Amino acid sequence: MRVLWLRLGLLAALLAVWEVAGRAANPLLAVPPSAVLPALRDLLLLRSYPELPASLWLTLREIGAAYMLAVAAGLGCGFMLGMHRLVGRVWGPMLAALYAVPAVVWYPSLMLFFGLEAASKIAFGFLLGFFPITLAVLAGVRQVNPQLVTVAHAYGAGAVTVFRRVMLPSMLFTLVGGLRTGLALCVIGVIVGEILGSKAGIGTLINHAYGLLRTADYVALVLVTLVLVVGSDVLASLLERRAQRWTE
Amino acid sequence: MQVRVLQLVTVLAALVSWEVVARAGWVDPLFVPAPSAVARALLRIGGTAFAGLGDTLGKTAVAYALSVTLGVSAGVVVGSVRLLRDVMSPYVIALYGIPKILVLPWIVLLLGYGTTPAVVYGALHGLFPIMVLVMGAVRDVDRTLVTVARSFGATTWQLYWKVLLPAIVPSVLAGMRLGIMFCLLGVLVVEMFAGVRGMGYVMGSLANGFQAPELFAATGLVSAASIAIVLALDHLNDKLSHWRG
Repeated sequence: MRVLWLRLGLLAALLAVWEVAGRAANPLLAVPPSAVLPALRDLLLLRSYPELPASLWLTLREIGAAYMLAVAAGLGCGFMLGMHRLVGRVWGPMLAALYAVPAVVWYPSLMLFFGLEAASKIAFGFLLGFFPITLAVLAGVRQVNPQLVTVAHAYGAGAVTVFRRVMLPSMLFTLVGGLRTGLALCVIGVIVGEILGSKAGIGTLINHAYGLLRTADYVALVLVTLVLVVGSDVLASLLERRAQRWTE
Repeated sequence: MQVRVLQLVTVLAALVSWEVVARAGWVDPLFVPAPSAVARALLRIGGTAFAGLGDTLGKTAVAYALSVTLGVSAGVVVGSVRLLRDVMSPYVIALYGIPKILVLPWIVLLLGYGTTPAVVYGALHGLFPIMVLVMGAVRDVDRTLVTVARSFGATTWQLYWKVLLPAIVPSVLAGMRLGIMFCLLGVLVVEMFAGVRGMGYVMGSLANGFQAPELFAATGLVSAASIAIVLALDHLNDKLSHWRG
């Protein structure tokens, strides 16, 4: 209880400091929370950016497309690497090495290849989400006790049954964790892509507000984007909990 | 051994088939140049690219030093004081999770273009993963070690220096390995967003100029550099764990 109050107190103190500092500073650079609220209201009432719903919808569709591709490719590659021992030993470390490259390195090439429209954002979100999902599937497959698989086979279980009854339950935890990380990274990838260069979407609005020094609008747009980020993670955590209940 | 050979074969096969596909004209060389063209481009832009890479790595080193120092000390302090940990940890986790790119425009507004925002943003990127790992490690230090040290009359200073710090070394190293990638990522993002020098800026302008061979060469160079850095850190890590026994 005391901890909760202290947490809230800390937040209030930070907001108060921000308010005082923001009022004292150049209004083009720093916006106190009291100035953010009207900007947020204008934004949500579609006064400052009437294209907000369309932009959000575009960003959401980009995230959805990137995530679906990442899940499909990640599951496919992960199982391929996990099921074949040699393939996994040859390509697994190469994949891990590629994962060590800061992904944003690929973004200019993707932009050149796919243009400034949605495709380059989808490709970048896909790229960020693909690696954690693949590596999680790979780690998950390796967690499965091979004796269990052998025994199940010996008792006449088919491939599908072995997968459903033996492999999936023992790797589900890792798998779902990877899927959750993958979603978070897809969201980040699409937003980073939009901010680094785009023609439409929430990142474009953020860039627009920043470029015109409409700092209050910028902060309001960031808050709206945060709702999207947090919302997607809450959704993923609900699914994660559901999956855990299923294993138990 | 067999694995190494097969890895080499994979890379060579990929390069050869890429070259063949590009030469046969199945892909537009404007977008996907052949590896041989990329190699020639690397020679062409070598000077600029290495200068840019040096600039980027210099900024990354400063950002990295900042985020390791701040991350480890903040992690130790917040992790070892119970009340502080309970109050702060949701905030730290939240700050770790939110996309830092959202504050990048504001950092650029405050600090302008150039080196400073890159260092600050790179450090911000690297700080939280390190801090979260160290916080967790400090929390999970074996309580008996602390109790025994206390009952043998260890001072608070000795408790931190002789018990806590040695116990968290593996997590600090893991955090440092993770942190370098985040710092480099952050620096490159700023250079692309608001750079005047450095590899991110070079790559951004090559992409805008549709110079695909040069862009691929630059991308390959940065990738090779970051893989080399991570492998070197891993190697160091192995050495250190041998030394610790």
